[in-house]
Parts: sequence; structure tokens; C-alpha cells
Amino acid sequence: MTEKTVRVGFSGDSKELKINPPDTSPPAWDLDSKLAVVGTNVPRVDGPDKVTGRAKYTYDINLPGMLYGRILRSPHAAAIVKSVDTAAAMKMPGVKALVFAFDESKIGEKKLRYAGDEILAIAADSPERADDAVRAVKIEYDPQPFVVDLDDAMKADAPIVNDGKSNVRGKNPRGDAAAVDAKLAGSSKKIEATFRTQVQTHSALETHGLVVAPDGDGIKVWASTQGVFSVRDGLSSNLGLKAEQVRVISTFVGGGFGAKFGPGVEGVLCTKLARQANAPVKLMLTRKEEHLAVGNRPNSLQKVKLGADSTGKLTAISATTFGTGGVGGGAGCTIPAIYNLNRDATYKAESDVFTNAGSSAAMRAPGHPQGIFAMEQSMDMLAYELGLDPLEFRMLNDDNPVRRAQFNLGAKEIGWPNRPKVAGGGKADGPLKRGMGVAGTLWYAGGGKDAKADVEIGKGGEVTVYQGAQDIGTGFKTVLAILVAEELGLKPEDITVRAADSRFPYGPGSGGSTTTPTVAPAVHAAAYAAKRKLFEALATTWQVKPDDISAKDGKVFVASDPSKSLPFKKACAALTADKVTGSADREANYDGYRGNTAGCQFAEVEVDTETGVVRVLRVVAVQDAGRIINKLCSESQISGGVIQGLSYALFEDRIMDKSAGKMVNANFMEYKIAGPKDCPEIKSIVLDVANGRNSVGAMGLGEAPVIPTAAAIANAIYNAIGVRIFELPMTPDKIIAALARKEGAKTA
Amino acid sequence: MSSLPVFDYVNATSPAEAMGQLGAGWSEAALYAGGVDLLDLMKERLYEPKKLVNIKTAPSLKYIKVENGEVRIGPLVTLAEIAAHPELQKSHPALARAAGKAATPQIRNLATIGGNLCQRPRCWYFRSEDFPCMRKGGEKCFAKEGENRYHAIFTEGEPCVIVHPSAAGVALVAFGAQLKIASSSGERTVDIEKFFVRPKDNVRRENVLGPKDLITEIVIPASAAGMASAYIKIREKQSYDWPLADVAVVAKLSGANVEACRIVLGSAAPVPHRATEAEEFLKGKPLNEENAARAGELAVKDASPLEQNAYKVPLFKTVVRRTLLALKETKAS
Amino acid sequence: MSDSSDDGARPKSGVSRRGFLKGVGLGSVAIPAAGLLGGSVVLAEEAPPKPSGPKVFTGEIPIKLRINGKDHDLKVEPRTTLLNALRDRLDLTGSKLVCDRGTCGACSVIMDGLLVTSCMVLAIDAQGKEITTIEGLASGDKLDPIQAAFIEFDALQCGFCTPGLIMATKSLLKTNPHPTREEMQDALSGNICRCGTYDHIFAAIEKVAGGARG
Ligand SMILES: Cc1cc2nc3c(=O)[nH]c(=O)nc-3n(C[C@H](O)[C@H](O)[C@H](O)COP(=O)(O)OP(=O)(O)OC[C@H]3O[C@@H](n4cnc5c(N)ncnc54)[C@H](O)[C@@H]3O)c2cc1C
Ligand code: FES
Ligand code: FES
Repeated sequence: MTEKTVRVGFSGDSKELKINPPDTSPPAWDLDSKLAVVGTNVPRVDGPDKVTGRAKYTYDINLPGMLYGRILRSPHAAAIVKSVDTAAAMKMPGVKALVFAFDESKIGEKKLRYAGDEILAIAADSPERADDAVRAVKIEYDPQPFVVDLDDAMKADAPIVNDGKSNVRGKNPRGDAAAVDAKLAGSSKKIEATFRTQVQTHSALETHGLVVAPDGDGIKVWASTQGVFSVRDGLSSNLGLKAEQVRVISTFVGGGFGAKFGPGVEGVLCTKLARQANAPVKLMLTRKEEHLAVGNRPNSLQKVKLGADSTGKLTAISATTFGTGGVGGGAGCTIPAIYNLNRDATYKAESDVFTNAGSSAAMRAPGHPQGIFAMEQSMDMLAYELGLDPLEFRMLNDDNPVRRAQFNLGAKEIGWPNRPKVAGGGKADGPLKRGMGVAGTLWYAGGGKDAKADVEIGKGGEVTVYQGAQDIGTGFKTVLAILVAEELGLKPEDITVRAADSRFPYGPGSGGSTTTPTVAPAVHAAAYAAKRKLFEALATTWQVKPDDISAKDGKVFVASDPSKSLPFKKACAALTADKVTGSADREANYDGYRGNTAGCQFAEVEVDTETGVVRVLRVVAVQDAGRIINKLCSESQISGGVIQGLSYALFEDRIMDKSAGKMVNANFMEYKIAGPKDCPEIKSIVLDVANGRNSVGAMGLGEAPVIPTAAAIANAIYNAIGVRIFELPMTPDKIIAALARKEGAKTA
Repeated sequence: MSSLPVFDYVNATSPAEAMGQLGAGWSEAALYAGGVDLLDLMKERLYEPKKLVNIKTAPSLKYIKVENGEVRIGPLVTLAEIAAHPELQKSHPALARAAGKAATPQIRNLATIGGNLCQRPRCWYFRSEDFPCMRKGGEKCFAKEGENRYHAIFTEGEPCVIVHPSAAGVALVAFGAQLKIASSSGERTVDIEKFFVRPKDNVRRENVLGPKDLITEIVIPASAAGMASAYIKIREKQSYDWPLADVAVVAKLSGANVEACRIVLGSAAPVPHRATEAEEFLKGKPLNEENAARAGELAVKDASPLEQNAYKVPLFKTVVRRTLLALKETKAS
Repeated sequence: MSDSSDDGARPKSGVSRRGFLKGVGLGSVAIPAAGLLGGSVVLAEEAPPKPSGPKVFTGEIPIKLRINGKDHDLKVEPRTTLLNALRDRLDLTGSKLVCDRGTCGACSVIMDGLLVTSCMVLAIDAQGKEITTIEGLASGDKLDPIQAAFIEFDALQCGFCTPGLIMATKSLLKTNPHPTREEMQDALSGNICRCGTYDHIFAAIEKVAGGARG
């Protein structure tokens, strides 16, 4: 190892950093690197497949003799399965296999804990027949008491959902409540507020599901997943197979958003059906099952207290939060995230509350949109309380140079000075009032050590990159092509990408925005290793040292000797073998510029004060994701996050009937997702930061852009109408009620 | 995903042929027009007719004729065709707009106006097989005490609190349309207001049709010609969504004054709801901001909202007022 | 109404599962048209045609569909939707099954010139119609300009909604070659994209339309 110095950061703030990479590593790209392909606009490599309908997603896999699986689920919020009679179902035409989701000997005592809990699965020779057969199973249930509402579940006499004495788990308090309260009491201004957010379902358009085909003594699996390797490992350990006996392919995945890690119950059931019938089985969930049983973003109830001194400096933050992830946990909220006060000035207690509903699953920036909705509205409240511009107040309390630069960029782009200075005091067009709001965010997305990659150069000049991880729509495959092209002096379209197959080198699940930062350095290093092998072969031919050779603009050449230059393809003829392969493992992270990424969003809204309808007119989103590899797809990620965040802010809501314990809107009619007409004008700005945590400098981008949107919209609504909305989704009924309360307060 | 139940299928080439295929009970056969509502109910297994009788193969049921101010519409005309009809857009803008604001572009190309009037309610308890509600023969109306933000606000004496889903119905009631209904025993004409039934009269159906009845024509009388009309729909989500509130107004204006008018509220009651007191109030009065606002108040005077939908009361006040004032811009030409 | 117990909507007991379905045809599995899939095929039970009146189709029936300019012979039950016929019988899997209820547009095809959701159309009812699916837009390797613009402006992420949105765009530009932003939003409002690509789609449409009017 030799110590090297790199310059990291961005135009507004940079520093030198010493790193100690292994000698086999490629030179790290830093702030001063001039790159040809990285950071440009590169259309997706799988675009042509996707726009023509040629792309085969798991749902589209059709195999000869394939059966169709269907799961039978609990119709009750809580019930004991007293008896199961499958005789009639098994006699139905075309029925080939039936497996239970739990130990069959437990019939009589097995407790189902939510409407949608799995009971059994059947495979038949057509989807219609599988459906018919599931409907023919006769089950006797003994319904049990249940609770589906967060507040009800916290009451002392609530039915117990899981084991234990109470449905409330946690309160892992951090900080000293009394000390923080004392600080608040001594603050010159303080606010206290309660916020609520709703349950959101992931609602990827391709539902969860798999096709499992028996394959020799193992299985071949097509899965709609965010984790090719976690599906492989999950299924192999469940079935007692070796990892190599399970091959998982996920060439195209119709979205995930955090709900598609591991094989899931449906994956295990599908595999058991396939093995029982000894035939391929396709089991894709229905839209309704998708809402009920495979994950969601928990709701929240957050009590926040903030204080500031007379100069506008935050003095204390206190947050007590509750949330329900159904029968599962994971309902914490991320407060505070941005404004770092001393430990003695911060108190935080998070609790999970169990209810009889489908378990939560990580959803795009778990905990953050909830927490930021509360925290960034609280910041706004305190700013107005202090008589400060909300942006100025944030600048006073935010020490991150990246976000400070972003705040300035965004403010300029949206025209922040044009907003109404007094909330609700803007120029009105009849009942329509406009306002602007801002919210900041951060995310941790440096990636980690778990990835390998192979890059192969053929004698004919063909270049192929192999990496097993999946592309769930982020543009990951295109990232692979860009990195290899950069290193070899080629164009992305010259590179063949082979990804999303467990036979290829290991890659991580698409979670925590880590796929790119984890894999990119390994691919960079593999391309570098392959290039070195090509250079070694050429060095022999040209009688020079490999270090004298470069690859750029489609050529391989010796800079000091113009006679030694060949187009890449011709140069590859120097290889003695048919092909050479560069393989590499991901190295550990360097210290880097910062361990997290920064972002902020500005929103402009128009509120109809008579109907309560909110329209978001514009959103400016500024985001840091370390070094940007593909500008085009990065902007897509950002605007996609904004749209999903807007949908969360205004429309989406999993609505449970409390008396029946069932979801009433398990469809796309009444579970409302933002459509084209709800889409504002969006300006996505990627702030390129050479992060220096790895040889590429990339950080992740998947999650952060969804975080601050709801908070920015809420703050904009307040700015427009002078009334704050403390609860998501911010639907017309809530706006009308809040405006009426304000009128009432005025006249009272 | 969820498969349809098994059924037989027949193409009827004439109304008579269609009627010949229908049975004495609803479960025997169903008329199949655009199929949008039917397939939806069948996929959810809320309805399993043994036979579908396709009437799109009966060309005599599809036309729009405007003669001497009278408009006659065949039941198979789609919402898209009504929305795009140049003459209706001018002469009956409330109907064209109601059709054009309903559903999605794809659905409007399939959905017929006949089917739109006959579609079943969108109450989420009714639409889900998980809830054995009163309208399906069960014992209770889940919405009354349950999740009722989108339900009716005129609920006095009603055992079930659905809102009627048909956008076309709202406009057609405002125009005082008549429906021609044929059955094997002959043809009758029903005033559209009498077509819709309230839950207190029959909690299992939303209209007077029997299983052997066929709507053969929708007639907007010539008396409506030359009247001004307007329709406004307020929705939570701007890409397709059901209305939180929609209102149609048809009025005879003379100069600045309202000579007579009909005001109809959709998504407010189990049937398209006429605001008769507001209509009376406006008679002979100038159409101005103040009178429109007063009419809005009168329109919701008798509302008895549920726990979650009190917001609809001020909302309808606004929408009634706005729709009345919009008459000025959309005066028939 | 004479008989209120036969009202068409069936009550469901919350406690036990429903009983049997009647009327599932018997018989072994036939190999369907394309011969590739273990499709959902019930052998025909020829219904005796009523002495007078139109033919009653029951069980499995042969139909002909004209898709992307080509005739396809296949066998379906009356209950087979056009979408399932395309996807499961003809292996035309570009049209996606997402909501199954006409609410998302992922299954959109153009039928006799009109954009429709194929999950809400019966295959048997699509006979005699000219059907265009996403597979029918490109000619060979030559992409439709809309498809090319979707790639250029990255108007797709996971791509699952993309075929439906391209079909909706195709349908829009046919009747309105230079739409405003609002006209685009209206025309596409029957489609949902969960990844959030709408603004990129508008940019792509503007490119194809040669710059928007407003
Ligand atoms: C996503 C979505 C959004 C929607 N939004 C709206 C909206 O905003 N506003 C709105 O109004 N609607 C909306 N709808 C509903 C849609 O407009 C109706 O389902 C459609 O109009 C029904 O017409 P159809 O021809 O498809 O009827 P079908 O499904 O064919 O028939 C419906 C019923 O009417 C009966 N029927 C049909 N024709 C006749 C006739 N001539 N005589 C007697 N009975 C007949 C049938 O037997 C059946 O019982 C929406 C639907 C969807 C899927
Ligand atoms: S699958 Fe047909 S509209 Fe959603
Ligand atoms: S691109 Fe994923 S749903 Fe639209």
C-alpha cells in the first residue's frame, strides 16, 4: 500500500484527504478528475427492452407446463384456525398441489394475527382454477379480539396483538428528559406540537411474486425482488439446499421501494408447491394482497418540543414518538436528524405499537419522511415564532456546508423572496392562495464492503461486465456500463451488462441506497484489472511498459509515441487468450468527505381555501449523492422521489375499518396514488460532491429525495393560508376543518 | 389476478333479442354494455350472473339525435362520445362536462351512458367481499359508524348511506331527462328522478329496473333547449378520482334573472339530490354572488352529515355557488 | 323488484369461506393456441343452441383476434379478459396486469382507434377489432418516435407502467399532435407510475410533438 492524497468535496467546500488503497486499486477519482462518461446523461441500457414490451419481468415468465399458485389468507383480523377441510378443493379440476403456510399439526391452535395472514397455497393449471380452488377450501375460524388503531392499541385494556403484557414496545429513551425540559423552559421561544402520519403501502406496480422451476436437484427461480442473493440464501436455507442449488434471476423488476427483500412467505410457499407438483409454479400476489400483507410504512404519532434562544439558535429538541407497523416493529421516526445539538439538549423516545395489521417493511427512507414531516414543520413554527425567515432560521442552525449551498441554490431557483412574508398574507386569486415552504434532509449512503465484480475483455474487443445485483428501476445496469466505459475509454453502449443473476458475482440488496456505492468501486476495480491485463499483452507487442499505455476515446495508445495507437477493438487482438477477466472485491470505505448526504426541497402550492384542494405547482429539489455517475437517471430518481413524496403528502392512506379490523381500500381506486395531473413542475438539481469514501466517490440516491417533500408542502400550505396541517395526508377535509377552526378562533 | 366467475355469453343484435335472453332473477343473466362496472363486481365475486348478454352488437341502441331541441341518446353511447359531441358541448354543456370529467380516458372509451346510470355504488364496504353489508343482504351498514368520509350527507331516515356514483345521472336529473325502458311486457317512460330509488325504499337496488328491463333511450326534453347549464366536480386527486362533491345546474335565464332552475348535488345522497329549496329561492332573482351564496346555504340546510364528512357541507355550499355563477359563462348558444 | 334475495349482490358471511363455485367445466387440459403455456383451458362443452335466438357461447370457444395487424386463432372461455388472452395465451406480455380494475392503465391497448384498459375487456368481445399493443409500435428495430423519446428523456424507471403510458401517449398524439402540458396531463390521467416519471414523460412528449404550445 502506498499513501495517496485526493481532493474531496465540492466547489463550495473541499479538503485534502490521505488514503491507503491496495496497490491493485485503480487511482481514485477525486474532485480534480476529468471524466469523460461519468456524470453525463446516459440513456438506460435496458431502455429499448422496456419501451417495446420485450422486457420480461417475473410476472411475464411463461414456461411450458407451468402451474399457477394462489394463497388463501385470513379474512379475520384475529382468529384461531379451528379446522381446515381441503378435500373439495383438492378434487377440483386442474389442482396439483397444496401446502400450508404453518405447521399443519397446529390446526386447532394456530392464531392468525391480521386480515391477510397466510394460511395455505394451492397450485393449479390455470390462474382461474387456482382461484376457484382456494375459494373451495373450508375453514372454521374462532374469531379473537383484535385492535387495528394506533391509539386504541395503546390503551391498557387493548387486546394483546403479539405476546407480552402490552402492545407498546420500546420507549428506548435517549437523553435526559428533565434536563431537556429545563433547557426548553429557559428558551426565549419554544413550540410544542403533535403530528400524525398515515400508513403508506409500497404499491410497486409489479406485485411480489416468483416463478419457481425444479431444476435437477435444485431450483431455478425468477423473482420480483430487490435482493437476488437474499432470495437465494433465504430459499436455500429454508429448503436445506446449498446456495449453488438455487439460481435466482431478476432481470427486470417492476419496482420495490423496500418491500421486496428475501423470498417472503410467498416465495417459500411457491417453492414448496413447485417441489410438490414437480412442475414450475408462478405465484404472483394480487393487488389486494399487496396492500394487506407484504409491508408498509408505519404510521406515527409524534410529540415534538423545540426551543431557541433570542439569536435564533436552537436550544433543545425533544421528541416522543409512537407508530404501528402492524404485527411487526420498525415504527421509529427520525428526529432529530439534521440539527445536531449536544446530547444534553436532545431527548428522544421511540415506541413501536403492535396492531392486528400486516407487518411493516422498510420503505424508501424508513422513518425519515415521518420524522422530517414533524421536525421540519416544528422548525417552521419556531421560525415564525421568532419572527425569522424559515430559511434564515435553518441556515443559522445547520452546519453542513453542502446543505447550506443547496439551500441557496434552491432558494434562487424557486424565487424564495417572492413568497408571502406573512403566512396567509399573500396575494389571492379569489379563493386561491399561494405559498412556499422548504425542508431539509440527510441520508447515509456510503455503501459497504459486500460486492464483487468481473469485467471481461474478449479478443474481438467485446467487453462484458458481470454483477449479480438487480436493477429495480434505479438505472443500476447503466451505472455498470458507464463505469466500465470510463475506465476503458469506451462508450456505455460498447459494454454488455450481465446483471441480476445469482450466478454472477455477489452484490448487495437494493436497500439503504447502497447498491451503487457498494458495487461501483468493485466494478471500477474490475475494469481496471481487466485493462491492466490488456495493457500487459500490448506491452509485449509494443515493447513498452504497461504503465506507458492509456485507453481513451475508443483508442489504446502510448502517449509518448504516436505510432503506437490502435482502436480498442484492434488492440484487443493482442490478447493471447480468447479473453481476459478482471475480478475485484469491494474495498473498505475510506474516511471520505462526509459520512452522509444532504438535500433540501422547496415547494410552491396553491390552496383553494373554499374547497380545501391543494395543488402543488412547483418543487425544486436539490440533492447530494456523492459523485453523480449518470446525471439523467439521477434526476429521474430525484423527481420520482418528489412525486412519491407528494403522493404521500396529499393522497395515500391505508384506511382500516376499526370494527371489522380490515382494510377498506385495498385497491388502486381508493388507495390514491398521484397521477400525471397531480405532478408539479419539478426542478431536480444534483449537486455533485466528490465524496472520497471510495475510489469512485459515489454515494446512494434512492431514498433521500422522498424524505422532505411532505414537510416542504406542509410548510408551503401554512405559508399560503396561515393554518398548519399536523396530519397526513393533507386532504381537503383537513384543510377545510383547519380553516374553519381559524375562522372560529378569530370570531370567538 | 382475481379471475372472473364462469358464465355463458351471448351477442344480442337487437333489444328484442337481448330481452329474450334475460331471466326472472338477477343471477340468471346480465346485460353487458361497456362491462366496466359488471366486470369489476364480478372480479370481486359480488355478482355472478350465469350469462352475459352483450348489447353492443345491437346497433339500434347507439346514436345521439338532436331534433327541435330534443336530445335523444341511445344507451350504448359512451361517455367519451358524449364529452366530445360538438353540439352537446354547446347546447348541454353540463352533460358533456359531467361525462368528460368522469373516470379516465380509457374508461370513458368503454363506459356507456346506460351502464353509467345503472352502475352499482362505490361505497368501499359494498365493493369489498370482506364486508357483508346491508346492500348485499347483510345486517348492517358499515359506513354509518365506520369509515364514511366519502359517504352521504343527506342521511335522514336512510338505512344505508351510499352516494349514487353516476356522474351522468347528476346532469340528467338537472335536465329533467326521461328514460325509455323496455321489457318483454312493453315499453314505459320513467322520469329520471323516479328512476333512482332511496335505500329506505329498497336497500338492495339503486333504481327501479327489474332483471328483465332494458333502457332503450335517454331523452332530454325540448323544454331544456336554450337553457344555460353548468357542472362542477371537486376531487381530492386531480388525475381521475371520484368526486367529493359535484353539482349540475340547469337554468332558464332571462337577462340577469333566473326564471327557473334545477340544482342537483352528486356525491351527497344515495340518489342525485335536488336542492329544491334553493331552486325556489332563486326564482325571479338576479344571478349574483349574494344570491348564489344564499342558494348554496339553502342547498345543504337539511344535511345531516356523518362523523367524518361534515366537511362536505361547506364544500357543497361553495360548489353550488360556483356552479350557479358558472352559468353565466356557459350560457347555451 | 320481485325477489329481493336474488338481487345480484351476494352477502358474504365473515366467518367461513364461501362454498363451491358452480359451473366449472370439466375435462382435461388442452394445449392452447401458442402451445407454450399450461393455459387455463377448459374443453368445450358445446351448449345446445336454443331453437331460436342467438348462439350461446359456453366453456371453451375458438376466437380470432386481430393484433398488431396479424390474426391469431386461440381458444378462451368467455371469462377470459383480453389482457389475459394477450399475456397468458399469446405470450404478448408487454401489456401489464397491475390493478386488474381499470384504475392504473398499465394494460392499455388501442382497440379500433380507442385507448382502453384491456383488463376490463373480454377477449370474446374484442373479436373483429383492430388491436394495437405495445409490441406493435416499433417496426423491427426501428422504434416509434415516442419510444425513442421515452428513452432519451428517461421517461421510465422500473418500466412496468411504461407500455401503458406509451400507448396512452400514442393515442393522445394521434388526435392531438401538439398538446399543451394540461392536455397531456388529461390524456395520461388514467395511468399510474409508482416510480414517478410523469415530468420526464411530458418532456418526451414535447420532444415528439416538436415543442409544446404552452
Ligand atoms: C377507474 C374508474 C373511475 C371511474 N370514475 C367514475 C366517475 O368519476 N364518475 C362516474 O360516473 N363513473 C365513474 N366510473 C364508473 C364507470 O363510469 C361505470 O362503471 C361505467 O359508466 C359503466 O358503464 P358500462 O357501459 O361499462 O356498464 P356495464 O358494466 O356494462 O353495466 C353496468 C350495469 O348496467 C346494466 N346495464 C348496462 N346497460 C344497460 C341498459 N341499456 N339497460 C339496462 N341495464 C343496463 C348492466 O347490466 C350492469 O348491471 C369509473 C370507473 C372506473 C373503472
Ligand atoms: S391492470 Fe388494467 S387498468 Fe390496471
Ligand atoms: S417506471 Fe416504475 S412504475 Fe412507472
